[in-house]
Amino acid sequence: MSEATGILRGGARRRWLAPVLWAALLLGACLGMESLQGLFRLVEPDSRRVVYARADFLVLLGRHVFVVAVASLAAVALGVGAAVAVTRRAGRDFLPLVAQLASIGQTFPPVAVLALAVPVLGFGTLPIIVALLLYGLLPIVRNTLAGLEGIDPGVREAARGMGMTGGQLLRQVELPLAAPVILAGIRTSVTINIATAAIGATVGASNLGDPIISGIVNGNTAYVLQGALLIGLLALTVDSLFARLQPTLT
Amino acid sequence: MIELIGVSKRFGQTTAVDDISLRMAPGELSVLVGTSGCGKSTTLRMINRLIEHSDGEIHIDGQQIRGFREETLRRRMGYAIQSTGLFPHWTVARNIGLVPRLLKWPASRIHARVESLMTMLGLPMDEFADKMPRQLSGGQAQRVGVARALAADPDILLMDEPFGALDPITRETLQHELRELQARLQKTIVFVTHDMDEALRLADRLVVMDQGRIRQQGHPLALLREPADGFVASLLGGEDRGLKEAALLTVGERMMPLGAKPLPGERISRHATLREALSMMLWRHAERLVVIDDQGMAIGELSLRRLVGARSHE
Repeated sequence: MSEATGILRGGARRRWLAPVLWAALLLGACLGMESLQGLFRLVEPDSRRVVYARADFLVLLGRHVFVVAVASLAAVALGVGAAVAVTRRAGRDFLPLVAQLASIGQTFPPVAVLALAVPVLGFGTLPIIVALLLYGLLPIVRNTLAGLEGIDPGVREAARGMGMTGGQLLRQVELPLAAPVILAGIRTSVTINIATAAIGATVGASNLGDPIISGIVNGNTAYVLQGALLIGLLALTVDSLFARLQPTLT
Repeated sequence: MIELIGVSKRFGQTTAVDDISLRMAPGELSVLVGTSGCGKSTTLRMINRLIEHSDGEIHIDGQQIRGFREETLRRRMGYAIQSTGLFPHWTVARNIGLVPRLLKWPASRIHARVESLMTMLGLPMDEFADKMPRQLSGGQAQRVGVARALAADPDILLMDEPFGALDPITRETLQHELRELQARLQKTIVFVTHDMDEALRLADRLVVMDQGRIRQQGHPLALLREPADGFVASLLGGEDRGLKEAALLTVGERMMPLGAKPLPGERISRHATLREALSMMLWRHAERLVVIDDQGMAIGELSLRRLVGARSHE
């Protein structure tokens, strides 16, 4: 018995290995970028500074995570909510409309959303959150729809025939069965948005996009590399977290 | 008791069920039978309001079904379907306990009920309680489906081609088990099928439907002997009707007492059907069989003349 739990615990520890490792690398890179100075000097031998220092990397990381988290939470609430609504009997008529709107949201480039949003919402964090929200909706809506429609019609028929209410059917049957597919959609959406959030730096939403934009403006490739490296590590950390989450739900 | 009075169902322009009236007595197993699209499934699903009827009245124990909340009505009836509709993310035990849980029974009572149902349906608790539906064979899954339908001990059981997707041997076993279960439980069962052999084997009352109407209803033997029209006759098996009827009668009903000097011969159980007896005669080239009881004692004999001979009921 104790041996079995020991193996279980070991297995659980191993599955957490990837996210923890990526997170450690990310934090290490944020704190110790200065020590890689020699490396970046090779890329930019002529610049006065080779490590971005206008803001602390940890602060930028925090803001980046915040923007993506807020936008993603809103996209999940809106996307799952809309997909659930249009698969109910009362909302069936809106299914094509919602599916199309979500597709349009993704074909619309975030930069264009920013350009349109800034005059209305002003500079700063809000326009980038709106842009990310719209951009991240499609994978969530599409996967939620696919997950719900993929449920064996017999299961739904039996659930109703046994006397489950609409709410019980949704909470106890439909959402749990569709969860793996929905979660995959959220994973795609969040990962895309971690990368896309960088353009927020162009409208004054300070985040890990700052070094990239600043590097492009000042012709400093080392800055661009530092921003890209941190965004990449953040994306890998979050993605491996989702990977860890997924099998427990199936 | 289920009563349908002048019930119709229209989907847009088409009439799926056309002014039917039916009475299903308590403890009776009624089988709705007909070709696909005849309205039998629609009729069944109108009883638990998965489909709302357009005209007429449906009563359960004298009360209009529209007087109940849909969910309340459905929790009073068992429902089993061909695809089983077991929840794939729930264990067998949890699936069976669905309706009792919806009815907020205490956990200990649900557990006891699930255990007794699983035992009754030949699914030992230790082996099956924690299995997931995908680990079951077709026959086991359908047994779980029937157990789930019976879980809250409803008076009424609605079954929509529950054995339709099973192989012939499993199907026959489950039909047999359903009959035995029904002999003990005496539920009011409405059973839909397009398989006439299944219908004849199970029915106390056979309801033949065609194009949304009832062509004929009554005891299976009555329909076999006096089909109302050519359609019913051909649906009941046409030239094969003699064999179908023989399958509903037992050797015990036709045998003669043993003669003074019993002759040796092939032995057959008194519970066997006349059809089985005839088959044995053909196979063994025998004109008479010795009828035995459950203990294997010879209690009578059945001759070919007697088997095909005068019908004692007429």
